[in-house]
This record gives sequence, C-alpha cells and structure tokens, in this order.
Amino acid sequence: MSACLLGEESFRQCCWRFLKLSDRLRDGWSWEPLQGSEEGYMRKTALRSVSVNSGPTWNPHGSRSDKESPASCHCAAATEQADVDGTHDDLDPGYDDGVVSGGGSRVLRLEYHILYSCSYMAPVLYFRASTLEGRSLSLDQVWSCVHPSFRSRLQRSPLTTITQQEHPLLGQPFFMLHPCKTEEFMRPVLQLEREQHGQMNYILTWLSAVGPLVGLDVPLKYSTLQPPASPPEACLQPS
Amino acid sequence: MADDKDVLRDVWFGRIPACFTLNQDEETEREAEPYYLLLPRVSYLTLVTDKVKKHFLRVMRAEDVGEMWFEYEGTPLKWHYPIGVLFDLHASNSILPWSITVHFKNFPGQDLLHCMSSSVVEAHFMSSIKEADALKHKSQVVNDMQKKDHKQLWMGLQNDKFEQFWAMNRKLMEYPTEEAGFRYIPFRIYQVNGTHTSTPLILESSQGTEKRYQVVIHGIEPLMETPLQWLSEHLSHPDNFLHICVVPAPSD
Repeated sequence: MSACLLGEESFRQCCWRFLKLSDRLRDGWSWEPLQGSEEGYMRKTALRSVSVNSGPTWNPHGSRSDKESPASCHCAAATEQADVDGTHDDLDPGYDDGVVSGGGSRVLRLEYHILYSCSYMAPVLYFRASTLEGRSLSLDQVWSCVHPSFRSRLQRSPLTTITQQEHPLLGQPFFMLHPCKTEEFMRPVLQLEREQHGQMNYILTWLSAVGPLVGLDVPLKYSTLQPPASPPEACLQPS
Repeated sequence: MADDKDVLRDVWFGRIPACFTLNQDEETEREAEPYYLLLPRVSYLTLVTDKVKKHFLRVMRAEDVGEMWFEYEGTPLKWHYPIGVLFDLHASNSILPWSITVHFKNFPGQDLLHCMSSSVVEAHFMSSIKEADALKHKSQVVNDMQKKDHKQLWMGLQNDKFEQFWAMNRKLMEYPTEEAGFRYIPFRIYQVNGTHTSTPLILESSQGTEKRYQVVIHGIEPLMETPLQWLSEHLSHPDNFLHICVVPAPSD
C-alpha cells in the first residue's frame, strides 16, 4: 500500500525525466532551485485567452458575488515561450468550445508550480493567475475558470478542492489542489504499472490527471516520445 | 499522562493583551478610539476580531471599507498562523499590550491569504489537522472520524471550549501501545527572515559562546532535552502541529 507513495528522491528523478521531455517539446517547464538547499519546484507559466461573459459568477460557497467581471475560460492554452508548434495537436477539441461563446475575451497569465509534500508523500500543484496588468484573480474568479464538467465533482468535497494557501517555499499566497486524495487515485494506476513492469513517470501520469482541472494540459506527446536515457534508477521505487 | 492535563489547559488558555489601532490613512468620519482585547494564543486573528471590526466600522463610511487586515511595525500579519506564533515571531521582545494596526484598504494580496468568512479559517484549520494526522497515523484517525467529530474539533476552537475540543482531540493524540509514539512528529519552524519550513535546522551549540537564538513554543523556551513526543502531545496547537519559533535572543 505504502508503495503507492512518492519518496522525495523519486520526486526529483521524475521531475528530471519530465523536464527532459519538456525541453524537447519546448513546453516551458523549468526547475527552480531554492537557494542554499536541495529543495526546489517545477515551474511553468502560460497565457490563456479567457472569454468574458455577463452570466452570473459560479460560486462554490454561496458567498458574496464578486464585483469583478466574471470570466469563464475553457480555452486553449498557449505557452509563453512563443514556440508551441505541434504541442497542442492533442488537445481535447471540446476544450476549445468556450472561445466562441460570449462577447470579448481577455488574456490571463497563469503560473503553475509543482512541489513535493513530505506530509502526504505526493506532488502538489500550486498555481496563481493574474491579468496581463498584474492584477491577481480571486478564488471565485479562479473557480469560474475550472472546466464546468469538473466543477460539480470538485464542489462536493470542499476540503479536497481548490483553496488559497501559503506557498511553502516562497511564503506567498497561491491556489492549491489538495493532495490528500492523491495516493488514492494514483494507486490503481501504479499497481497496473507494476504488474506490467512499465516505465511510467509518476509526475507525468499525475499531472495529466490533475492539470486539466485548472487549465493545464499535458500533451500526449509526453507519452509517445522516447523516454530520456534515464539518470539513476527508475522512478517508481517502493518507498 | 493525566498529570499533564494542566499543561494542556495552560496552553489552551494562554492569552496576549493587544491594542488595536486604526491605520492613520483610513478615512474616518470621527476619531477612532483604540480597541483592547485579550487574544487567545491558539486561535486565529480573523476568528477573534469581529468586535474589532465592528468597533472601527462605526466611524467609517461603508464605501471606504475593504477586507480587514492587520499589521505590526510594517509587517502584515498572516492570519493563518496561530496568534501566539505571530506574537512570538514578530513581537516577543516588545512591550505589552501588543500594538496591532488595523487596515481596511490596500489589502496586501502578495503577502496575505484572503479570509472573507470563518469558513475559510475552518477549511485551513481542518486541512492542518488532516495533514498532521497523515504524519502521525497515516490519516487513519482523522479518516475514521465522522463529520460531526470534525465539527466538534472546529466548534471547540471557534467557541473556546477546552473540554469539547479535547474530548475529540484526545483521539488524535493516541498511538498504539507497542509503538513509542507517533509515526512522525508534525512541526513547523518559523524564522523572521524566511518562511516556515519542515526541514530540520541545526542550532549552534551555545557552549561557551553567547546565545544568539531562542527556541520558543507558546512563549516559553522548553528545555532542549524535552522528549519530542511529549512536546507534540502537550504543546501542539489545536491544529496538531508543533509551531516552533526561532528568534534572536534578547540582547540585554
């Protein structure tokens, strides 16, 4: 059972392998070391076009409605590193539907961080969103960016969902997808993997599951490219 | 450990006298008097300051009132740290009452989490309890609890009910008799110049040299030879983490 957890060293190796693929795909991920320590995190920024409509803001907690113009964004993402050739061929076409609806659109800057949680022995996805002028989005606004098909599922369980938290390494407010269910949903995948003696990358599999919730797509090419000549051992060591 | 119940009580009822003053730049219709309050060390600023807010709103126009936040000597105070931690970290050498400035505009979104209602505090608190139990018992105890048990922990803190809280929290402090203690001890270390961390840090030996740092929990310096398991059971905050401040030793 505990073999479905991710050790810290394995986390780093998985990130290393993921970054090698990202380099080849020019997908914009990088490793940000924390000065003076072995700790660090994977980071990517992306621009997303967001359709602005006049409908009511979807609100998970029934609290005050936001004065800001509500934004609903289920649109294609483009990496900030201009060259995106080919990396988005595999996007789910249904994901682009939102672009045509509504009136104007605006562009959001999204920043994604992947950190290691030693409490849950699992990766955690942190992110923040701002307008191009640098104004941060509120939690309500971020919620309205969650794809509608995921909202109802997330809504049912407020504790496992998106909350604002302090970034453990930077000390700044970020949004976070809570990791307490990560082991649970990764377990069947990992068990299958082990039975088939595969070369799955934990980070890649996990990110392809949680990323789309917050508009972060992981192109299929990550899985179809040859894996990089690995650094040390395979990533999935029982811990 | 029945003998040590007094410790739990002392920790729970720890109080810090504070004086809240309205920021000078706020627009008011008349002068705002300061507001005095005894703050529970184990609670959260946004949970115990309804009266402070009410007090200052009386002299302000509704349109000048944004989200309330607090500051001490230029440092925005993070409401999601327990009050005692904020005091030990930023103000332990200051005179009492602790002088806190209240703001209603220019919310520093780069430094502080938003907190529009007590449900945000509740989510933060329960998330900490869950994380602590992941470390202590692989989440088994907290997952075996029912929703009303979780509610009891939260209501105990929110309403300052020691017995109500500990009747349930006791379960989170148990461990199998064949074990020497918890699987891992949940702790956070805070230093003024950085963020909190879960990475151990080595304190320089103070032998022969002048002591440069103090290790402070709930305003006191525990003996360095105190067993960690005992500290975790008795000096943890209600969120089940030991919050340890490493602050410069007073020079006098």
